[in-house]
Amino acid sequence: MSEKFIRAISVHEIAPGGMKAIELGGNEIVICNCGGKYFAIQRRCGHMNAPLEKGTLDGTYLTCPMHCVQFDVTSGEALSGPVPPDFGQEIPPPMFGEYLQNIGMLMKDVRTESIRTYTTKLESGWVQIAL
Amino acid sequence: MNIESRKKALHYFFEKVVGPLGFKFTPDAELVEFLLEQEVILEGKHGIPFCPCQPLRHDRTRDMQIVCPCIPFHRKHFDIIKRCWCGLFVHKDVLDPAKLPQLSPKEVGLE
Repeated sequence: MSEKFIRAISVHEIAPGGMKAIELGGNEIVICNCGGKYFAIQRRCGHMNAPLEKGTLDGTYLTCPMHCVQFDVTSGEALSGPVPPDFGQEIPPPMFGEYLQNIGMLMKDVRTESIRTYTTKLESGWVQIAL
Repeated sequence: MNIESRKKALHYFFEKVVGPLGFKFTPDAELVEFLLEQEVILEGKHGIPFCPCQPLRHDRTRDMQIVCPCIPFHRKHFDIIKRCWCGLFVHKDVLDPAKLPQLSPKEVGLE
């Protein structure tokens, strides 16, 4: 079955190295301009659902703004887990320490999943996405 | 996580950091592969790609000084021996990394 491409954005809407979040057919999608090549990924991080367009894009590597999980936007593959919020024996203030401990216990069981990618193509100055 | 993909990503990010510092990846490709793999394993365990050749002391201040690439924290030492402690990075002018011995700060007169 052939894929159905839908016009998403004009190629001029994102500068190289930039990202833009859009909604298309009920899907939250981030389009990444990696030096003139466009990739489309699901908007939500595979770790804790943070909006990925608020992160940073370096080459084809995207870093989540929340816990710094990194993804390859060409494949959607999760390349790392979250960066730990604390390391070592620094002693936080008493109430905050308890809070951090509880968060840490919850976070232990949170898996980092790879994210969905969408096929893109350029046509007549438009980035089109297959849904 | 896929080790090979992560190694590739770390290579990409590290190159950008060490280049402006006057360093490059060692020309010994086998060593690069091996050390990056160890860092990916350490990152999987601790969440941070620590230097695989230096011990973790579980003292945050000291441990953060061995997050790869740790060149900025040991600049004086590494500039003298023309390599980082592991040998993952060498000065840009180094062609034969095998000729660079791993000398401690004490051996080069820094302690």
